[in-house]
Amino acid sequence: MVEIKVEEALTGLSMSEFPLIRLADVTKVYHLESGDFKALDHVSLDINDNEFVAIMGPSGSGKSTIMNQLGILDIPTSGELYIEGKNVSNMTNLERTHIRRDTVGYIFQKFYLIPLLSAYENVEYPLILKYKKRDTTGKAAAVLKSVGFDEELSAHRPNQLSGGQQQRVAIARALVNDPKIMLCDEPTGNLDRKTGFQIMDILVGLHNEGKTVILVTHDPKIAEYAHRIIELEDGRIVAS
Amino acid sequence: MKDIFFDLSVRSVKLNFLRSLLASIGIVIGVVAISSMGMLGTNMQLSVKQQLSANVNTIMISSDVVRTTSTAGVTAAAAQGIDKSTLNDIKTSVGQNDVIPIHRGNTQFTIGSTDGRGSMYGMDPNDITKFLTIDQGSNIKGANDALVGPTIASNFNMGIGSRIKIGQNCATIVRPTVRVAGILTTRGFAPDGVNSDNAIIVPDTWYTDHYGGKDVYDQVNVIVQDISKINETEAAIDKKVNQHTQTVRIQDASSRLSSISSTLGTITTFILAIGSISLVVAAVSIFNVMMMSVNERVQEIGILLSIGTEKGEVRRMFLYEAFILGVIGAGVGGLGSLVIGYSVVSAMIGNTTYFFMPESILYVPYGMIIGIVVCLVSGLYPAWKASNMDPIDALRAE
Repeated sequence: MVEIKVEEALTGLSMSEFPLIRLADVTKVYHLESGDFKALDHVSLDINDNEFVAIMGPSGSGKSTIMNQLGILDIPTSGELYIEGKNVSNMTNLERTHIRRDTVGYIFQKFYLIPLLSAYENVEYPLILKYKKRDTTGKAAAVLKSVGFDEELSAHRPNQLSGGQQQRVAIARALVNDPKIMLCDEPTGNLDRKTGFQIMDILVGLHNEGKTVILVTHDPKIAEYAHRIIELEDGRIVAS
Repeated sequence: MKDIFFDLSVRSVKLNFLRSLLASIGIVIGVVAISSMGMLGTNMQLSVKQQLSANVNTIMISSDVVRTTSTAGVTAAAAQGIDKSTLNDIKTSVGQNDVIPIHRGNTQFTIGSTDGRGSMYGMDPNDITKFLTIDQGSNIKGANDALVGPTIASNFNMGIGSRIKIGQNCATIVRPTVRVAGILTTRGFAPDGVNSDNAIIVPDTWYTDHYGGKDVYDQVNVIVQDISKINETEAAIDKKVNQHTQTVRIQDASSRLSSISSTLGTITTFILAIGSISLVVAAVSIFNVMMMSVNERVQEIGILLSIGTEKGEVRRMFLYEAFILGVIGAGVGGLGSLVIGYSVVSAMIGNTTYFFMPESILYVPYGMIIGIVVCLVSGLYPAWKASNMDPIDALRAE
């Protein structure tokens, strides 16, 4: 009984003090030839573990910018971004790279598979990045199987696969290092409606397994899958 | 462990096969040029050394110190020969080694009705066989006998017993005549200063009777029996003869050999430099191919970076690609250098005895290593550029 209480107290503390993701007054300014462009304007946002969040907004509202921040592909011009309580701005380049590899699974609208690698190798790739050796545990094959890929299909190169198949491989690749956060940037944008819903079903399944899913979309039907919708306009959160 | 980045590089090379092949051909040419040129130079040096070292045991002593005599207010310069007392000093300082005093000059001559010109040496007939070989006939016996070199003999159709009139062809003067007693074997370039191929050799008495200079020699050769003592012997001569003033100059073929070798070394370096120009061209083409590879794969680099590939790993991938191009180029180039190097050496030197000696054949691995290094260096900037891309910009590239 005592042990459980201690655990509860610890998790309770960590949950309340450090949400999985915290954006604190984040501003991102791009310096363009036509002048400075404020893509994010003093955005503050907490996302907790195992949330399913949809980010919506017209183009140019800052959806992609916020995703790039969450994916640590970029750092804020001002303000702070914490992932698992760690301030991204204070990290070295290598530490940020390792967060991208281990904590965040990124799914793109255009799939972005590595063209020179087979489906299997695309999924195995993050494992190699992490463990510095080829996968001998069968994990890559298992994850591929969970998105409906058998061995034969796994041997195909991305250009031999349909859009829906490519997105499944991309999801498997994002999942294989067991990240806490799944970032999905218009994951159904390049797919037909039916395939899109199939992909969404996979994401719902992942959420049910405990992943935090953050989804950017402009499709209200897709956004309906989320439990929380954040609307952006001109770099500001207008509804949450 | 099979490195996935190596795999990616191999696939990229295969995907752009023709382009990679062309870039590699640049390296092939560079490696072949460097290796073949290096081997050519080395073979040249080795074969010249071998030719020269035949007479390397000879010390040449000559008097090129100029004595100035004041005559009626005019200062005339005259070359001084090696006189009898100096010769005796030399003889006493060299111990058991042979001392060969030589008179030397040039002369016009007539054989039958043909005029010619050549070198003339006067020396003791007993000394001749100590360093020259008679091919036909015999050594000088009579006072008017002479030996001739093979070139002069064949140019003037001379045989044993031919008569040579020595001196300028002039109707009013009766010229002395010598009889050919023997013909020497071919000697080639002689590092001991006796270039006998195009010369007439007469007894020293005949020479001084007609040209004067008795007991004053133009050159004295010392043939050292033990080559390892050549420097010691030279020092002894120098101490004895050049005791008070610098009287004679002492040289040996080994110093001439080393100066010729160093000249040949310079020539080798020069032709190597020419060869390396082609490697510079190859480096530019590898650089170009690598830049194309980076620019074509911007989006792929963006993907790699965005899903957690370290910069170092991206760099490694492109360096592997450069390395693969280098290894292919160097491998083919290495084989090519053996074939082309052998052909060039046999065509230009006419002698491939030294081709497989370490000094020569080592240019193949050297060339290959240089080729690979050139590739890697050319790949450095493209690899650096790839690894430092901004993943967001890179992903957006189409």
